[in-house]
Amino acid sequence: MGGFGKNELATKRGYTYRLTRRQFLVASSAAALAACGPAAITPSASPSASPGKELKIGQLLPFTGVYAELGNSMRRATELYLKLNDQKLANRPVKLVYGDDANVTATGVQIAQKFIDQDQVDVMMGVVPTPLAYGIRNAVHAAKLIFIDTNAGGNALTRDTTDCKPACKSPYIFRASFSSYQISYPIGDYLSAKGTKEFFLAYANYGFGTESAADFTTGLKKNGGTVTGNVAPPLANPDFAPFVTQIKNQPTKNVYSFFSGADAIGFIKSWNSLGLPAAGYKMYGAGFLTEQDVLKEVKDLANGAVTSLFWAVELDNPENKKFVADFQKAYPLLPDVFAVQQYDGMRALDEALKSLGGDTSDKDKLVKALEDVTFKSPRGDFSFDKSTHNPIQDIYIREVKTQNGQTVNTITDKIAKVTDPGK
Amino acid sequence: MSPELVFQQALNGLSFGALLFILASGLSLVFGMMDVVNLAHGAFYMLGAYVALSVVQATGSFWLALLVAPFALGLLGFVLEPLLLRRLRGRHLDQVLLTIGVSLVIVDVIGQVWGREVRSLSAPAGLDGSVTLIGGVYPVYRLFVMAFGVALAAAMGIVYRRTRIGMLIRAGVQDAEMLGALGVDTNRLFASTFAAGAALAGLAGVIAAPVFGVQPGMDTDPGLLYSLVVVVVGGLGTLSGAVAGSVLVGPADTFGKVLFQDVALAVIFAIVALVLLLRPTGLLGRIRIAR
Repeated sequence: MGGFGKNELATKRGYTYRLTRRQFLVASSAAALAACGPAAITPSASPSASPGKELKIGQLLPFTGVYAELGNSMRRATELYLKLNDQKLANRPVKLVYGDDANVTATGVQIAQKFIDQDQVDVMMGVVPTPLAYGIRNAVHAAKLIFIDTNAGGNALTRDTTDCKPACKSPYIFRASFSSYQISYPIGDYLSAKGTKEFFLAYANYGFGTESAADFTTGLKKNGGTVTGNVAPPLANPDFAPFVTQIKNQPTKNVYSFFSGADAIGFIKSWNSLGLPAAGYKMYGAGFLTEQDVLKEVKDLANGAVTSLFWAVELDNPENKKFVADFQKAYPLLPDVFAVQQYDGMRALDEALKSLGGDTSDKDKLVKALEDVTFKSPRGDFSFDKSTHNPIQDIYIREVKTQNGQTVNTITDKIAKVTDPGK
Repeated sequence: MSPELVFQQALNGLSFGALLFILASGLSLVFGMMDVVNLAHGAFYMLGAYVALSVVQATGSFWLALLVAPFALGLLGFVLEPLLLRRLRGRHLDQVLLTIGVSLVIVDVIGQVWGREVRSLSAPAGLDGSVTLIGGVYPVYRLFVMAFGVALAAAMGIVYRRTRIGMLIRAGVQDAEMLGALGVDTNRLFASTFAAGAALAGLAGVIAAPVFGVQPGMDTDPGLLYSLVVVVVGGLGTLSGAVAGSVLVGPADTFGKVLFQDVALAVIFAIVALVLLLRPTGLLGRIRIAR
C-alpha cells in the first residue's frame, strides 16, 4: 500500500494525522484495485456449470460471536460428508467458500451478496440466526441462487405470507433443518391429547422464542389445553433467578419452555437451585433445551425434562449409528443436531446432483431434482415438502435420564411425518 | 405480587446487585485513578471465568480458582499498563480505543484456547445447597454472593480510607500530576491500580460464573454492559458510587424485568436515563464535567 507512505512522516510529527484528499484517492484506488484484481484477470471466472467441473458451495456460518460453536459444528459436518465422498458431490469436485457472519445480520447480508456477485457460487448453505435468513431471502431469490438453509427455523421462510413480510418461501430456498412449528406444535398437541392440559410458558423473548411458544399454544388448544401465564426473559439473559421465582409463585406445575445454549443452562440451574423439582414442577420444552451442549454442563439437573426434536444422538437407526460413529472417528466429540442438519443438507444436494449427472446449469431442473430427493437420514425418513421446501420429518418425544453416569435424551415416542402447515 | 414473592425477588435483586458491585468495582477504581474507561474490563472478567474453569477442571477446587484467577489477571494488568497504556498517557480517548483492541485480542485468544462452546461452573461444595427462607428454598450460593459483595465493599473502603496505598489512590484521583511532583512514583501507582482493577474483574469472573455462566459473549453482556451501567448510575470513579449503583441497579433490573417483561431490555437503560437526567454526575459522583 504505497499510498500510505507519507503518513509515516505525519505520524512522526505528531500523534494525529490527516489524509490529504490526494493521499486518500491514491490509497483507496490502490485498495480497490487490489480487492478486485484477481477476479478481474482470472479468465475462468464464469460459473462452472457442466459436469465434472468444480462445484462452488458458499457456506454462510458464524465462526465468531455467541453462535461460533454452531458454525464450527456445521463446518465439521460439511467436511465429514465430503471426506466420506471423495471430496465430491455427484461427479463434481467441491470447493467450499466460507463466510463468517459473526451473528451480525448486516455482515451476513454482505457475505451473501459477495457469494452471488464475486464468488459466483453454485449453491449457498448455512445460516444460523433466523433474522439473517430473512435478511438474505430477497437477494437469494432475485439471483435465483439455490440456498439450502441448514439451521434458521423461522416459519416464514418456507411459507406464503402477506406481502412477504417478514419473509416468504422461494422456489430457490430449501430447508434441511426444521420450522419452529415442527418442534413446538406437535408436542403441544401430543401432551394435551395425553391429558396434560394446563401449562405455564417460559421462553426467550425474541422472534424464535415467541414463535415457538405461540405454536405450542396452538397445539395445546387443539385438544382443549390452556396456557395460564408466561415469563419471557430477554435473549442471553444473565440471571434466571427472577423468572424462575415467578414460576415458583404460580400454581401451574407444568412449564413449557423455549431456551437454548447458555440460556438453557442458566434456566435449568436456577430451576434446581430454587427447588422447583421438589415443589412438584415439571419441565417441558422444545428440544434445544436439552441438547448435548446443555446436558454436558447441567447433567442430571435436567432429569425428567420432556422435550421434542427431530433427532437425538441416541436415536436407534442404522443411519444414525453410522453417522455418530463416522463423526466420532473424525472428531473427538459427539455430533449435535446442527451437524445433522448440515449433513442432511449436503446429502440432499448430493442426491439431487446425482439425479442430474452433476449438471447445475439449469436452475429449475435443480430445484425439481431437490424437490424429488428422498433418503434415510440419521433423523429418519427425509424429504422436502414440494410446495414449501420445508422438510417432512418425524418428531421424537424425548425424556432426559441419567443412565450409567451419562445424561441422555431417551426416546419415549414418535410423531410420524410432521409437515409444516405452510402452503 | 404477594409479600413472599416481593421478598424473594428482593433477595434475587440484592444478590444480583452484589455480583454487579464485584463486577463494577475494578472498572470504577481504574477510572477514578487513571481517567480511563477500561473497555477491556469485560474481557478481563471473561478471562477470569475461563481461568477459573481450567483451575477447577485441573484441581477440583473452586477456592483455589478464587485465588488464582484474580492473581493471573492482576499480573496481566501489571504487564499491560506499562507495555501499552502508559505510552498513550494523557490521551484518554486513545487509551479507551486501545482497551477495545485489548479486549478483542483477549476474547479471540479465549476462543482459541478454551473453544467457543457454552460452559458453566458449579457452586463449590457446601455452598451448592439451598436453605429454607420465607416463601420456600433459596440457594445458599446467592446468599454467599451477597455476603462476599458486602465484605469486598467493606475491605475496599478500609483500604481506601485507612491505608497508605488508599491515601495514594485518593490523592491520585484528585491530582495525579501533583502527586508525581511530590515524589510519588506514579508509574508504579498507575500500573498497580490497573492491575488491581484487572484482578477485581478476574475475581468477578470466578464469583459470577456459577450464576451467570461461562460463554462467548459474556465479555460484553453481562460483563462490560452492566459494569458500565453501574458505574455511570452510581457516579464515575468512586467506591461509594459503585456501591450505590449496584444497590440500585440490581433490584431495579430484577423487578423491572419481571414486571415489564416486554420491555425488559430497555428497563436498565431507562434507569440510566432517569438517573442522569436528575443527577448528571450519577448518584454519588464527583463533579468532573469541566475537565
